[in-house]
Amino acid sequence: MVENKPLRNAPLPDIDSFVQPTRDEAARMRAVNSIHIHALLELRFQCREPYEKHAKPNFIERYGYEPKTGDDVATAMEDNHFFKFYSSIRYNAQEMVNRARQPAVERALPDLIETAKLAAQTNAAGGSLRLDPNFQVPEYMTDLDVHLAPGGYHTEYLPDDVAQGVMLGGGATGKPKGYNPRARNFATVGSSISYWLQQVYPDFEPKSVLDMGTQSGANLLAYVSAYPGIKAHGVDVAAPGLRYGHAKAEYAGIPVHFSQQDASATNFADGSFDLVVSSFFLHEVPVKVTHQIMAEVYRLLRPGGMIVFMELPPHKACEPFLNFAYDWDTQHNNEPFYQSYRALDPTQLVTDAGFDADSAFELTIPDTGSFDLSRYDAFLTGDLPAPPHGRGGWFIFGARKSA
Amino acid sequence: MSDMQNSDVAFHKVTKGMRSYFLDDANADQLMTFMLELMTEVIVLKDKNDLLERFLSDNNIISREALMDYVPSPEAEAERTKERADLVKRVLRIHQPEGR
Repeated sequence: MVENKPLRNAPLPDIDSFVQPTRDEAARMRAVNSIHIHALLELRFQCREPYEKHAKPNFIERYGYEPKTGDDVATAMEDNHFFKFYSSIRYNAQEMVNRARQPAVERALPDLIETAKLAAQTNAAGGSLRLDPNFQVPEYMTDLDVHLAPGGYHTEYLPDDVAQGVMLGGGATGKPKGYNPRARNFATVGSSISYWLQQVYPDFEPKSVLDMGTQSGANLLAYVSAYPGIKAHGVDVAAPGLRYGHAKAEYAGIPVHFSQQDASATNFADGSFDLVVSSFFLHEVPVKVTHQIMAEVYRLLRPGGMIVFMELPPHKACEPFLNFAYDWDTQHNNEPFYQSYRALDPTQLVTDAGFDADSAFELTIPDTGSFDLSRYDAFLTGDLPAPPHGRGGWFIFGARKSA
Repeated sequence: MSDMQNSDVAFHKVTKGMRSYFLDDANADQLMTFMLELMTEVIVLKDKNDLLERFLSDNNIISREALMDYVPSPEAEAERTKERADLVKRVLRIHQPEGR
């Protein structure tokens, strides 16, 4: 229906401009976002009070020792009234966040698809989109709808579909113009890492960057701003996000090369990249695949190149209650590898892949979208800690390949 | 811009995977869903009401202060009281002595 139109010289519209929720739909998106944020940032951590007051003493009395792990805390909190209602509210809110976005994206879908196709035909900004029609999305991605989002990242309702890319890539937010939400901005991970890199490794000037599990490239674009002229590549297994991200980058005039590939086995040559990054990615794949991805990253880096992955803080970096609070997602947010990923040691991960332990790092850095940058020096000198991960900070780890 | 006026696509509405239940009775989980959906609609209505008040006020059609001070006539207030009572009866209709 939308094929074979002479589009090459047509101007590329802003793909996001087609998603036009009604006043009530937008209000509904904001309402469910408020409930979700309340559950995530308030109720989740308020669970600590009944834990300390009741659940922990009961656990000690019953088992004769203090809870040592997140699983111990889970056992202690199993019958806790406050925890159950927090869980119910959070689960429902997570479902509702996804459902509230759907009507506006559903209506706009033909225009969204046509715009993404136009972007792919023109590549006016100099980027590219390479999809593999024979690509098999791994079963671990299709078995469950991750984050309780119906359709997940991979579902394609129509040929050349972008729906799930828009749904999960920030294309439907319900924000009126000028609205400044209190919600966390996940797309500031890229700018936070690139800013940190420039402060800590001023001599490191990457000419190429690869983002693993890039979705729609939201966290990749920052590297192009930070390092002008850098060649930016993003890979993902899900085509809808790649199409959507490519249309957004082309509209923004930023050349980005998106390709549909499995991060554990890409077709780039050895030593292709100076910098390999990812965000919110490894905890969504089985641990076996995580190791394969790390080996692939090592292969893809040129000597002297760096890897910087933003991830969930590992179990070893958190006390038992926090591990319990985080690992909720394993069972209830359709992220089955969440807990087993967090059980890994990030430094061990990079040294197993071949990086020198001396070059490995793991730390929490400030989110540049919310941190007072005039105080960044105090963070670098260790006088001011970064805010906690997910609440003004991001946990990162990585290493540098020997020159 | 698209020739496709209506894609006739309905996105998946149900999440693939086992649904989690948290409360002692699955019925209570279902009630939580009802309650949270209702809370969402209350927020939507409040949002619209607030928007209306601000729009009418900013365009000098009403004054928000005058609206707050406005006292309906006794006849109007009687209608409003009946509206409230009817709503309560409708909502609680299932809670009735047997046979009524």
